[in-house]
Amino acid sequence: MEVELIHRPGNTAARVSLQPGEVCTTESGAMIAMSGNMQIETTTHQKGKGSVLKALKRLVGGESIFMNHFEPLGGKGELWLGTALAGDMLVHELDNEQLIVQGSSFLASEQGVELDIGWQGFKSVLSGENIFWLTLTGKGKVVLSSFGAIYPVEVDGDYIVDTGHIVAFEQTLDFSITKAGKSWLHSFLGGEGLVCKFSGRGTVWCQSHNPQSFGSSLTPNLIARKA
Amino acid sequence: MYNLILTGKLEPGTNPRDALAGLAKLLKVDDAKAREIVRNAPVCIRRNTDAAMAERVVAAMKAIGIRIQLEPVAAAPAADGLAGTGVGTGVGTGVGTGEVASTAGAANAVSVAKTTNSAASAKPARPEQPSTSLKVIAGGKPAAANPVDKAQTPDSQQTAQAPHTPAAPESFKGFRYQLSGQPDYCFISVEIPAGETIKVEASAMASMTTNMLMKTRAKGGLSRFMSGESVFINEFTADTVPGEIGIAPGSPGDVKHLYLDNEEVFLQNSAFVASGMGVVAESKWQGFTKGFFSGESLFLIRCSGQGDLWFNTYGAMIEIDVAGDYVVDTGNIVGFTSGLDYDIQSVGGYKSLFFSGEGLVCRFRGHGKVWIQTRSVPAFASWANWYRPVKKK
Repeated sequence: MEVELIHRPGNTAARVSLQPGEVCTTESGAMIAMSGNMQIETTTHQKGKGSVLKALKRLVGGESIFMNHFEPLGGKGELWLGTALAGDMLVHELDNEQLIVQGSSFLASEQGVELDIGWQGFKSVLSGENIFWLTLTGKGKVVLSSFGAIYPVEVDGDYIVDTGHIVAFEQTLDFSITKAGKSWLHSFLGGEGLVCKFSGRGTVWCQSHNPQSFGSSLTPNLIARKA
Repeated sequence: MYNLILTGKLEPGTNPRDALAGLAKLLKVDDAKAREIVRNAPVCIRRNTDAAMAERVVAAMKAIGIRIQLEPVAAAPAADGLAGTGVGTGVGTGVGTGEVASTAGAANAVSVAKTTNSAASAKPARPEQPSTSLKVIAGGKPAAANPVDKAQTPDSQQTAQAPHTPAAPESFKGFRYQLSGQPDYCFISVEIPAGETIKVEASAMASMTTNMLMKTRAKGGLSRFMSGESVFINEFTADTVPGEIGIAPGSPGDVKHLYLDNEEVFLQNSAFVASGMGVVAESKWQGFTKGFFSGESLFLIRCSGQGDLWFNTYGAMIEIDVAGDYVVDTGNIVGFTSGLDYDIQSVGGYKSLFFSGEGLVCRFRGHGKVWIQTRSVPAFASWANWYRPVKKK
């Protein structure tokens, strides 16, 4: 599986070239175009590893429990992936490591990568943002997307990132939800609310913009919907 | 024996920068000099060449994307008259063989008058005396002649000469334009020669010189109204002097320019931005099965005829050459050429239909080009849907 990112950074699209027999798993709705010989299969689980429990876990996690698997039939195939929001993408190669990805940043992965909803317990609930985390393990390429640009931060010690700006981080980092300011009152009045505090050694990838903030800024201009 | 004329035109699909670099290399001059040559095109680059040598030069130039015209030397004495040139109006100088001239003249008989417009700026274009005439041009040319712009808009340079036929001075083919802010926030500025008109999607005009006259037309009638596109296309005409218009498409994204030469291009209903007057944009009913299920609209816009066409995307643009079949999400289609047949279908099995998030896709078959956009308006709208305020009961 070869991945090429084009039109970076504003309107990035990923071009995935697949050899016969290779399978690419994508988030539902990510495909924008593909060659005619591409076969698509939609499952609630990792291809070949069915588990109702995992599907349920994903449901609880708030993610769409369906994944699409693309496989070219009779020769090579290509697949174009895009996102709903403007922004950049990142290709990361896993080599039997663990990567924790913010749910809506996951775009696609190679066959050797296993996806699991990482239940972060009350941490996720507390973070206030509608965030769930995917744990990716195994070997292979992973494509992540962001809203705005992506920048890596090498953490050695402690580092704080606003919850809405996290794209992914290495599992070697421990994270906890904390307040941004010294007192709870100041944290909330300052509009920062809760933040993620990382400790240990590893990389955090951050996105330059927070989708929730952008969405909220649209709210006054949108027509009300029925609950 | 032939004279070799560098017309300033490029082979279709050639990147002007590459062509310029290639030319510099071929002629063993630096970039600035090559630019100078292109700016002064059409220009004679070699005189009294025998046929074999001429062939070789033409082939070499063609390889780097530059068109060369052969002018039989025997015809030279007849070419003593001045060929009209419209400088700064997008009208090129006429140089060439009688044959080329007559075809061009026939195709553009309408525009003979236009050359008269620019007769004031006519220059001696006889390739036999390049050194003198180049100086004249360099001195007399309006500042508009930015070499890069010129190279980027090869289509705006039409060349033909009519040593024998008076009808030959040629004419207007395409506007000179510039795209800026690509690919994320593309903006188009078009130079409109005096008396010429451009069609622009309603409300897309962002800026213009004061001599541009606007006329609103409801084109395409009811079907256009139903296609979701605004009924109105505005026509902007430059009055007695050349004007300029800046066009900003509605959605942030890229813009593609095509010069239609009696070809047909189909566009998704919001993709049309602007076109020359020779292009007919009309709504085309897709049929119930194709239209309803595509989730987009029942209509496509069919652009045909001859002239410039600009269309825009939401997000960046990807051009795909289809040979065989290709599948595109309905929300990401921008347009496609007429050689393609398409139908709307679901992807995968029943489970994919409902749960893949892809919904319905468009499968293209045949040979041609499809333009797709990297972002889709429906996808963004459904994302934004979650942020709508909730109505209190």
